This record gives sequence, structure tokens and C-alpha cells, in this order.
Amino acid sequence: MILVEHLGKSFHDARRGWVEAVRDVSFECRPGEIFGLLGPNGAGKTTTLRTLSTVLKPTEGRAVVAGYDVVEHPEEVRRRIGFMSAGTGIYDRMTAWELVEYFGRLYGIPKDALRDRMEAVFAWLRMDDFRDVLGSKMSTGMKQKVSIARTVVHDPPVLIFDEPTSGLDILVQRTVLDKILELRDMGKTVVFSTHSMSEVERLCSRVAVIYRGRLQAQGPIDELLAAHGQPNVEELFFALVEKADAEYEAAGAGAGAAS
Amino acid sequence: MSWSNVLLIFRREGMDQLRDRRTLFMVVVFPILLYPIIGAGVLQFAAALQEKPRRVVVVGAERLPKEPALLAPEGEGFNPSLFDSPAEAARLTVERRADAGEWANPAFREEAVRDGDASAVMVIPADLPEQFAARADVAIPIHYRSVDETSKITYLRLREALDRWKAGIVEERRKGDKLPEGYARPIEVRGLDAATTQEIGGSVWGRIFPFLLVLMSLTGAFYPAVDLCAGEKERGTMETLLISPAGRAEIVVGKFLAVLAASVTTAVLNLVSMGVTGLQLARRATAMGGGDPAREAAAALAPPTLQSALWMVVLLIPLAAFFSAICLAVAAMARSMKEGQYYMTPLYLVCLPLIFLTMAPGIELNAFYSLVPVTGVALLLRALIVGDYLTAFRFFVPVLLPTVVYAWLALRWAVDQFSDENVLFRESERFSLVPWIRGVIRDRGPRPTSAQAVLGFALIITASWLFAQVLLTTGLGGIGVVAAGQGVILLVPLVMAFLLTTDPAGTLRLRGAAGRYFAIGAAAAVAVKPLSAEFERLVQWAYPISDATRSVFESLLKGDTPLPLAILVFALVPAVCEEVAFRGFILSGLQSGRRTRSAIVLSALLFGLLHVFLSLFQQFFNAAILGVLIGLLAVRSRSLWPGVVFHAVNNGLAVATGAWIGLLQRAGIAGWVYRDAEDGLYHVPWVVAGAVVVAALVLHLWKFDRRDVGEAG
Repeated sequence: MILVEHLGKSFHDARRGWVEAVRDVSFECRPGEIFGLLGPNGAGKTTTLRTLSTVLKPTEGRAVVAGYDVVEHPEEVRRRIGFMSAGTGIYDRMTAWELVEYFGRLYGIPKDALRDRMEAVFAWLRMDDFRDVLGSKMSTGMKQKVSIARTVVHDPPVLIFDEPTSGLDILVQRTVLDKILELRDMGKTVVFSTHSMSEVERLCSRVAVIYRGRLQAQGPIDELLAAHGQPNVEELFFALVEKADAEYEAAGAGAGAAS
Repeated sequence: MSWSNVLLIFRREGMDQLRDRRTLFMVVVFPILLYPIIGAGVLQFAAALQEKPRRVVVVGAERLPKEPALLAPEGEGFNPSLFDSPAEAARLTVERRADAGEWANPAFREEAVRDGDASAVMVIPADLPEQFAARADVAIPIHYRSVDETSKITYLRLREALDRWKAGIVEERRKGDKLPEGYARPIEVRGLDAATTQEIGGSVWGRIFPFLLVLMSLTGAFYPAVDLCAGEKERGTMETLLISPAGRAEIVVGKFLAVLAASVTTAVLNLVSMGVTGLQLARRATAMGGGDPAREAAAALAPPTLQSALWMVVLLIPLAAFFSAICLAVAAMARSMKEGQYYMTPLYLVCLPLIFLTMAPGIELNAFYSLVPVTGVALLLRALIVGDYLTAFRFFVPVLLPTVVYAWLALRWAVDQFSDENVLFRESERFSLVPWIRGVIRDRGPRPTSAQAVLGFALIITASWLFAQVLLTTGLGGIGVVAAGQGVILLVPLVMAFLLTTDPAGTLRLRGAAGRYFAIGAAAAVAVKPLSAEFERLVQWAYPISDATRSVFESLLKGDTPLPLAILVFALVPAVCEEVAFRGFILSGLQSGRRTRSAIVLSALLFGLLHVFLSLFQQFFNAAILGVLIGLLAVRSRSLWPGVVFHAVNNGLAVATGAWIGLLQRAGIAGWVYRDAEDGLYHVPWVVAGAVVVAALVLHLWKFDRRDVGEAG
């Protein structure tokens, strides 16, 4: 469902010249599984996922999402994904219902079908009590629910969540994670990025550790732990980071990473 | 493009704006409140001004004769019959002082004016009665202060009253001498104004209205554009929209329509509010004054007719579209609302001079102004308001069409901006000049960027202009200077190509080309000649060249320059220099990240603009069309030289036309080729044949000579 091959993305920076934010990233993600992208801030998670969402064009390699190449058929890709990140806010001057309806219409869902779908989604996320509240009046938790509703309104086969729990309180965090698990159980392909080890342990069947713009390791969690001889994800993560830093120092300068 | 998506986005953005208090205030509330408040203010000001009479001290008033009377016999005022109306007379009060004590001292009188005790001090000299009796002339000194507005106005009023008083004295003398009535006043001027009340009103509105309308439609577009682009980025909803299935063009057009609606609404509301206030002011003026000035004011403030108001709205839409697209493209660059506001100043600075032209006296709409963005529309608005329908109808389409084209180009730019991830995901970085320049040179690619191409064009224009200014001040001239001017055009792209690209030779297309491209270049230049001669005539009919300009250009070409030298300077040198600049550096730059077709057209437009700035505006059309031809040739042959051949042959034919026609005439065959040898117009079959050949060559280059085909063959 998602196939990423040797993906690379460079940005031009006036001071530093061309900077490789992501380099040679490859992974695959299948329906009914949650693929975790674990990495610290600035590791290249957001850049990778933005490339999958087609708002950034890769400078190297390719990515196929839901059967379509992100460069050749970006509109077909966008039609088939639900994307949620810190950058996808909700409109202040629209109510929850209006916002979800607006995006539903942009996905081309017929009016009647859209209303039924929205009733189902609003009930699923327990959003009925703030249907007519403007975005500017909502709490963070409400906003996050509206974002999720927006992400799933067109029932996409592929869902991409870029740090969906950052900045949320524990209660909302739990709701969000529960919903993502439910989506997996519906057979969706889910990519999920985070810098939280516990979330990865709880949700993901497979995980990739990304650091300095490159994939340091990937595979099912237990296999990774066994291969690297680490007791848990946190230790695994620090071991990989140390190894990457050492390699980086050894290589002298070379490309830095930014996202 | 899915229009249902466009409509959906437009409706959402429109609703968003309606729910935003700031925008709503700027677009709707502000214009409705502004004019009535200004109107009320003006009325209060007028009332305050009217009530305060100015004090004039008359020293030695007792010396004045009884008949004709300068001062009113009773009270403190002048003789009312010396003024237009009693109300006018009441604006000056008189304080009589004896010519004794401190008032006899000129320094004291001056001090009184300086301190503002009196607006003016008039001194009646002691010998006035004697001199009057002797029929001699007398000087009447008036102290006033020219830097003090009220004192100056008082002085002017006094002079007017004294003039009438003087006429009365002369009349007395005439009667005394029993001279005929016309003796002292041989002529009397009576101005008969042919303007109707409507037209008088129009001329006042005609200056203010277009200015405010254009400004308001810009303001009305700017705030929503910043909110819908920079504001969305700031609130973090831009990416939400970008990951929806809506295409970039749909998003831009939807936003554009919302901005356009806001802009037109602002402008129309301003129009209505201003009109209603003007009407109200006019009524008040008539009701209050009753005199002539009041009626004049009423006439001056009469609003334009409904018909012209309707046409104004029609004209406003493409202008507002132009502003909306520009604002969107500019606002897309901003990361935050605050940054967006910064872009407003340069936008206004560019627009204001273009609008100010409508306030300048003596500027009439003509073919040239009709092509200038903003100015054309503003002048046409003025013609409509003044009621000059003849001009308005003649120029309606010539103004409307370019404006629509500009709006479309601006919209394309906005779509480009929205498709550029660097614009959308720009992150703030510290800017310092030296590392930046170092970075630009360090990270240069094989080809220049579009921005560098446009910068190159701007540098060519500025450098050439500066060069011309230096020539003007030093007084140099002649044919060598023309060649040196071309050198400036060559120098800029050369330096930029070497500094900014890793492959200057490739950028400037300095490689050779297959022989057939040279043949195509030469053949196309010859074949296009009859066609461009026709076209040139058409352009000159639409935009006549003034005789003065023509004579300057002809003196350059004719004179005693030997033909080979003229061909060198006017054909070969420009061919090389302009080609290096336009088909070399600029076209290569424009080609990066753009379709070849758009790059060729853009480079041709810039090539045309070069002629507007450095030569005759009329050459724009021919240069732009030839620019497309040469651009195609350069892209297909991947070399500059076939274009140089085309350019040189084209210019050479123009330079040698005189000699060539003379030769044909002497051989007696000029009649076969030209139907009008004087103007270089060919017989129609030649024109048709040339057109067919050019069309065939263009088709061949465009369709059958693509890179893949070319490389296979």
C-alpha cells in the first residue's frame, strides 16, 4: 500500500547550500498494520511524510502510495490518503461540522452519502456535543478530534499520522491512540511517526528508526531488539543514535540533517 | 480544473472573510462610515471658517472721500457694494485709527500684522484728498504677511475691493469730464461656459473618483489576500488544504475569486458611500449659502450618472482581478500576517504613481496609456465620470483587453507561487548579505534560475538607462555610442553567466548548430519581412509616432553613415548582443522549471519591453513576435547562432531598405515587389507567400523538430 524506495529530499539553504533532509529512505507498509517512524525532532520524519502526502516533491528515489506514484499522480494519491500532522490545523472561523463537510465535499463525496458518513464519524469520535462550535472556541482535544474526523471522512485506505499526540494531555493522547488502533483493525494502512518510545511499543508491529535523515534500522520490534541485543525500544533507540553519531563523526563532515 | 472544487473553495474563503471582523470592517464598515464622517467634518470646517471675520485696521480713514465710499458710512465694515455679496463684505471688519501716536509708526503697524492683532493694516496717506482733487495718483500701502494664510487672503480681498473702488473713482472722473461711457473701460470680458452642470460635477469627481476607486480596490484586495495566504500559513491550515484532492490551480482560483469579490465590494461600497455623501453635501451647500459659490459647489459635487456608474463597475472588475491576483502571488510569499503587511508598501509605491496620472492636468487617455496597467483603467474611469463618452467608447476595449491579459498573467504567477514548495514551506533563516552572495555563487547550477533571468533583464534596462544618462550629461553622440550601448546589453548577461552558472557557454548557447538551422534562420528573416512591414504599418496607424521622434530616428539611420558601417552597427552588433542577452541568458533562465512554450513567450515579452524602454514603444509588438520566432529557433537548434543570423538579416534588411528599394527602382522592377515602395509595403501575394513560408517553418520547428526527433535524425 505504501512503498518507499531510496527516497531523498534536499533543500536549498542560503547559508549552508544544499542540505539533505532525508537520504536513501526505503520502507514498505501493508494494510492492517501500523508502521512506526521513530526519531527525534529534526530527524526527517516530517519531510518523509510530507513527501508521501505529495506537498513536497522528492529529489531522489520514489514513493508509491495506494498504487499511485506521488510525483506522477499526486492528485490520485491525495484522494486516497488521510493525512494529519502538526501542520494541518483547523479553520478558526468554521464549526466542526462545516469543516469536516467542506473537506468531504473536496473529496467529491455526494451530499447524502457525506451526511451519513459524517454522522457515523461524529458518533465514532463522540463529537456530537461540539458540532456547531467554532474552531477558535475549541479545546486542544476537540481540535484533534476534528482533525481526525477530517482525516477519515473520505474513508481512505491509507492513513498518515505525523506526531498526532504531541502537545496533548494524557486523556486525549489515549483517545487518539485508541482511534488509530481501531483504524488498523478496520484494515487501513497506517504510518505513524512519533518520538515517544511507549507509543511505538503500544501501537506498531513494525518500526523504523530515523535519525540524521537516514533510516538506522527497521523491522518488527522483537526482531530488532533481538538483533541489536537490547532489552527495550528505548535502549535500542539510544544504541542506534550513538552508533549513527559515531559514524557521522568518523566520516568527518558530510551532510547534516534537517527537516 | 474542477469548477465544483473552485466554487467550494471560493464559498468557504468568502464565508471565512465574512466571519472575520477585521476584514469585514475594512471592506464594508470603513467605506460606509468614512465618507459621511469626512462630509460632516467638511461642513463643520466650512461653518467654522465662515463665522470668523478678519480685522483690517484702516489708518487715517477720515481722509477718505465721501463719494465713492470705501467704507460703510455706519458700523465697522467696507462699502458692501464693493463686494460680490453682502456676506462677502461682512468677512472683513474695519477698525479706524487716527494716523497719530503709535499707529503712525510703520514698525508698529508691521508688528500688529506680525502679532496677528490685525490681518492687514491699510494706510490712507495724508495727501490723499489733495492728490484726488489734483487727479494725481496716490499710493495706499497695505501691511500684510504672505506666509500667514488668513493675512494673505485678507490682502487679496482688499485688493479686489480697492480695484472696484478705483473703478468707481475713474467713473466719477469720467462723468465729471463728460467723456463717453466706454472711455475708462474699453472692453468687458464675458466668459460663456459651455459645460453643463453634469460636466462641472464630473470634472471634480473625475479627479478624485478614479484615484480613490483604484486605491480602494487595491486595499480591498490586499487585506483578504494576506489573510487567505499568509494568515492560513500562520494559523497552520495551509497544509490541510494542500493535502486535499483540490489542485493548486483550483485552490488559487477559489481564493482569487474570494479576494476579487472583496475587492469589488470595497470599491463599489466606496463609490456608493462617496456618491451619497457628495449629494448630501451639495444639498447642504445650496441650502446654506444661496449665493453663486454655493450653487457652484452644489454643481461640482453632483454625482455621476447611473449609466457611467454602471460602466465604472464593469471596468472595475478586470482591474480588481489584476490586483487580486498580484496580491495573492505576493501574499503567498509571506509566512505570517505581519510579513504580509510589509509587502504592502512596495505594492502601493508602484501603484500610486500610476494612479496619480489621473490627477495631473492635461493627461488624456491615448493608445499608449491604454496599455499601461492601472493607468489605462484609471484614465478610462475619469473619462466615464467626466461624461466624455466618445473617448470612453473608443478606448473601452483597448483598455479592457490588456487589463484582462495582465490579470491572467498575474493569476498564472499566483498559481506558480502556490506550486512552488519553496514559497509555501519557506522557513525563516537569518539573512546576511555576504554569506548569501557566497552561497549563491557556491551553489550555482549549470543554468541560471528564473529569478536571475528577470534580474538580468532589470540590470540590462537600468545599466542602459544609466549609460544613456551619462551620455546626455557628457554630450557624446554618434554611431560609436550606439555600439557602446549595445555593449552594455552584452556585458550584463556575460558577467552573470560566468558568475552564476557552472556552464556559461551552455547557458548562452554558444555551441554550433546544424547548417539547416542557419538556413531556416535566414529564410525566416527574409520571409517574415513583408508580413512585419504590414504589421508595422498597422501599429503606426494605431499608435502614431510623433514627428519629432521620427526625425531623431531617421537622422540616426540616414545621415552620412556609409551603408556597411550602418549594417555593422545597427544589424550585426545588436544581433549578437541582444541574442546573447535574450536567447542566451534570459531564455535559459526562464526555461528552468517552466514549460518551453511559456519560457519562449516570456522571453519574447521581455525582448519587446527592452524596445519600449530603450527605443520606441511602437516596436514592442514586432520585437515580441520576432522574439517568439527566434526563441523557438534557439531552443530547437540549441544554439544562439541561427538566431543571430535571423536577427542580423532582419535588422540588415531594415537598415538597407532605402538603398535596396533605390536599386530596384533604378532597375525598374520596384513595382513588381512593392505596392508602396515609399513605405516598404509589398504586394499582397508576397505578403501571403511570406506568411505561408513563416508558418511552415514555425510548424516544422515546433512540431517535427522536437528534441527526440532531432536527436534521432
